[in-house]
Amino acid sequence: MLPRGLVVAQAWAALGEAVAPLSNGAGRPLTRTVKLLLDPLVLRPVQHPEFAAGAVAVEHVDALRAMITGAGPVLAATASWFVVLKKERRRLRITEGNPQDLYFQRCFELASEHGAPGPDAARVAAPVLAEVHGQEGPTVAGLRGFLTDSANANELTRLIEATWATTTTPRPAPAAAATAEFLATCAAAPDGALFLALVAGSAGTAGAAELSTPGVALAHGLTDRDRPARPALGESASKRNLPKPFDRSILERLFAPLTNTYLRSGLADVPALVRQEITRSAGPWQLADEVSRVVMVLGREASAGLTGSSAGGAAARLRSRWEREAYVHRVLRMPSAAPPAVRADVHGVREAYLRRLWVRVHGRELRQDAVTAEQVWDVLDGVLRSVILDQRDRLRSALEREAGA
Amino acid sequence: MRVSRASGLVVGDWPARPEVTALLEGAGAVLAWDVLADDPVPAARIDDPARAAEWLWEIYGSAAEEILGGGTEVDVPAAGDWRVRAACRTVAQLDWAHAWWPASTTAGVPALDPVVRQAERAVAVSTVEHLLDDQDAVSRALAEVVSFDTPDAELSERVAALAEDHGVVLSPVVPGRAAYALAAGAGSSAGTTVLTGSSIVDWTLVPAGVVDAAAAAEWSVVRRQGATVLEVAVAPGPAPGPRLAARFDEIDVALDEIDGLGRLTGSAPVPATVLLLPPDRRVVTVYAPDFAAPTEVTAPAPGAEASRAAIIAYARSRVGASTATVTERTAR
Repeated sequence: MLPRGLVVAQAWAALGEAVAPLSNGAGRPLTRTVKLLLDPLVLRPVQHPEFAAGAVAVEHVDALRAMITGAGPVLAATASWFVVLKKERRRLRITEGNPQDLYFQRCFELASEHGAPGPDAARVAAPVLAEVHGQEGPTVAGLRGFLTDSANANELTRLIEATWATTTTPRPAPAAAATAEFLATCAAAPDGALFLALVAGSAGTAGAAELSTPGVALAHGLTDRDRPARPALGESASKRNLPKPFDRSILERLFAPLTNTYLRSGLADVPALVRQEITRSAGPWQLADEVSRVVMVLGREASAGLTGSSAGGAAARLRSRWEREAYVHRVLRMPSAAPPAVRADVHGVREAYLRRLWVRVHGRELRQDAVTAEQVWDVLDGVLRSVILDQRDRLRSALEREAGA
Repeated sequence: MRVSRASGLVVGDWPARPEVTALLEGAGAVLAWDVLADDPVPAARIDDPARAAEWLWEIYGSAAEEILGGGTEVDVPAAGDWRVRAACRTVAQLDWAHAWWPASTTAGVPALDPVVRQAERAVAVSTVEHLLDDQDAVSRALAEVVSFDTPDAELSERVAALAEDHGVVLSPVVPGRAAYALAAGAGSSAGTTVLTGSSIVDWTLVPAGVVDAAAAAEWSVVRRQGATVLEVAVAPGPAPGPRLAARFDEIDVALDEIDGLGRLTGSAPVPATVLLLPPDRRVVTVYAPDFAAPTEVTAPAPGAEASRAAIIAYARSRVGASTATVTERTAR
């Protein structure tokens, strides 16, 4: 067995300077080259499971290399098109979005259709850029316009009231769900059948049973209220001061996903998005898909180990990462006396974790990108990482504010 | 290199103290270099072998397989393409420098230029992006960059290209922060000095760069008009910082003035009984109350002074050295 990263790096190096625009400073393929080009368009692990990330069996190594070598010309052309698109972008003074995210796959399409860019490259590139940046997709302005239009606002407010009036508190499951069994192995060997069973058995919905009991959602860090209340429609939102998830208005819930050009393109149009969000807000966990709710229940269980004793499996892994953070703080010479503004975050790590997890699965619902059994651990782990990094940023900026005071 | 499995999977000798540790958080493993050891090969603590296996060969070459396969003693080949490992070291080194660079007028260690450090770090991060734990590391690093204007033309060009590739537009120049406003002190004090001393400043109790890394805190007990007063002074570092205080026995003194020598200073009345303190308790502990609280142990750890001297000498050797990062090399 060889690490796939090694095999790919070697085959990539053989493509030489022609793919430099898709490579990093050490000549390796960029992370997005792997994620957006090599994986989905060249290696396609769905059709070729033997090429999936991880280790590659020795007998498949040559085939993998041949795959990349064979794609050499189209990758070289993709690289050249990327340079063309960047140049046009500069000329048109476009600054929106991440060019790698937005253009890589477009460049691959151009390369497949036209080969390397010719003398008419700029002419060919123009409509592609126009399409990428003029993309339909809902916008924040469109959303705000729709919600603040009084004709819509009245109807939508009634819709919120009606939807919330008919919600019922989910009943707790008669028997404990097999969440602990799934968490025990989800990092190394996720049990897909068990995950499906949790979803089919509505373990996520059942796990929301207590959230409407006074103080419970508050203790989860999902609201500042004693009990979750129905959301307002909202008129404004700012990325900096978003309330806790259950306290967000419909506008605030939809706002962040719409600010990302790359992710926006896959979303439904504004009226549909808003109506779905209203329905979602009245659901268990204020989420619409059972899969997301199951992930919330799994996250709640796995994160219990951050502040209390941890079972094995996912909880132990999260716990050990969290324990490592104290050491990293010493190495990075981070403050050991947290300023009051940040203290709540540092001590309420589990609440911060559940908030971030909710935002994550909510975003995936909007993009209709349901978490799979294989992805659960990546999500659970990634959320803690993001909470930790966010905390470091907050500690640093709190200190800088002190310095400037 | 030794591979230990006694408490987790650890490769090599982990650096003993935080202030000599250059750390890199990779996916599934953390790497650490002892900055004083001058070894290009880092120690590693591997938490998730499956994830780390994807990239550990970039660090240990052919030895990676043995490390993950149960070997207890491995040889890391000297020859190889170590560009990714070198970039890992650069990121780790710059983070070390950010935290521990001992800028000191007293010891002749110039301050680092944050503009250069942020730019160089972003470029290095982009080279190792694929093996980092933080998947948004490049955007995060670019978000800290405030200017492409560095003394190193190649670096300036590379960071500008990187920002363009990621669609990052620099926010307009941040206005320079006003330095911490301090009142001028009363000048040299009248009175009779009855006791003086100096104590080294524990680096972990103040943010980087706020206090001259090599200077000691000077203190004196003065009898003035029938009262006993403790005066403390310490030389500032290059960075503005939060308010400082000094603790002597159980008395806190705010260092909120500047004396004629440009030192941060402060004074507080103390009971005359401080004169009766045994010598080992006549220690001043300088700290930033918003950053860290002094511990019970006021005496510095044994060897602390030698260790600090070694780090200061190391930092001095990095300025102008061709093997150092651009940031260290161009410090002045």
